[in-house]
Amino acid sequence: MKTIEWQYLIVSYLFLGGLSAGLYLVSALTELFRKDDDSAQEHIARMGALLAPWPVILGCTLLVFDLGHWYRAYKLFLHFRWESPMSIGSWLLMLFIGISLFYAYGWVSRATREQFFEKLPKRLAFLKVFNVDVAPLRRPLAIAGLPVSVGVAIYTGVLLGAVQLRPFWNTNLVAQLFLFSALSAGCALLILVLAMRSRKFEMYEFRSLYLLDVSFLTLEFFIVVPYFIHGELSVEAVRESLKLVLGGPFTLLFWVFFHGLGAGTSLGNRSA
Amino acid sequence: MATRTKRYALAIDARKCIDCKACVVACRAENGVLLGKSRNWINEELRGDWPKLMEVFEPEQCHHCEAPACVRVCPTGACYQRADGVVAVNPSECVGCRYCMIACPYDARFFREDLGVVEKCDLCAHRLDRGELPACVETCPSKVRVFGDLNDPTSEIHQLLEKRQYRVKKREAGTGPQIYYLL
Repeated sequence: MKTIEWQYLIVSYLFLGGLSAGLYLVSALTELFRKDDDSAQEHIARMGALLAPWPVILGCTLLVFDLGHWYRAYKLFLHFRWESPMSIGSWLLMLFIGISLFYAYGWVSRATREQFFEKLPKRLAFLKVFNVDVAPLRRPLAIAGLPVSVGVAIYTGVLLGAVQLRPFWNTNLVAQLFLFSALSAGCALLILVLAMRSRKFEMYEFRSLYLLDVSFLTLEFFIVVPYFIHGELSVEAVRESLKLVLGGPFTLLFWVFFHGLGAGTSLGNRSA
Repeated sequence: MATRTKRYALAIDARKCIDCKACVVACRAENGVLLGKSRNWINEELRGDWPKLMEVFEPEQCHHCEAPACVRVCPTGACYQRADGVVAVNPSECVGCRYCMIACPYDARFFREDLGVVEKCDLCAHRLDRGELPACVETCPSKVRVFGDLNDPTSEIHQLLEKRQYRVKKREAGTGPQIYYLL
């Protein structure tokens, strides 16, 4: 009866959800701790905020299409079950998407906003009530979104870890790994996008992100290593599950595509 | 164990099983299970060393745990436990996320692509409500399965488990499985 139930749609969501949470966290932390006259940090906060909502929206769309019937997704929001990580996660995702969209709107420049609302067709003129400057709310939104984005980054790890008899996942290290992986992915994407967009790319801007990225990757390394050491010293079921990526059928996928490509992309950004 | 007026359970005497699969067929017919899927099945295991070999057949299905992991993780409450301990799925509430399938220690659930919902053994709850036995129990020619109320001291299963030694599978999962394999 054993089948692999969660496949590429779910795996893609895990990356996209974490990426959004990481982008938001980096943006919010930069916004909260930046100096008012630091244009480089403002640039990072703006770009992170503007990018954050979209990967998770795409990821949630994939989640919905992975359900038995996509139109039943609304049923997830007719219930709140605190003992179900998936129920908590569904509500967290909705909250995060709302806050991150609002936060991103706060970073849209006045000129862009005005231009957008001017171009609206007449039948959508009622939307002009939203033509307000929410830039003063950036900091309160950054603070409000911080715990929610941490929740989005770790809840999938908790969700997998809550499955008692799947020894590969049944450890609290998975949630921690997901959090640092999200932060690292957020930094990596920001480096890439800023490098591609900025005409006057400031080394200081780049260096701070790169240092953050390497720090998060190092933290990930210090989670993965104890994960394997602890696993190898654990009961037979855990050792057996580790064999899947230590010579088993998922070895190449795990080490080359998951770890190698992930770390390689982040570290390779230095040459961007 | 939570206080219940009734606690339905199964005792399985695997030594009597001849792998005829009548229980699988009866379940399929009773519950309209699709071909290629199964609510119950027979595990086969070869024990001993040649030339002293023995083939063991062990019927398997949902263990109707006392603290079911599937019920805990279900985001909509579609997976629920009845007052008599039977674990069932309400298909109208199931969104087909399949988290319960991942959480089940016994891999006792399957996904019905045609309906977009998860399905599993519910001990023929509709038959229980009419005072009948589950189809697999009723149909078994060698009387491998004994079904009944554990809380009823006069029930066959209660008396059997008092007399005979038994084991439960994956006790370490902490879910309190309610299928008792007689030794």
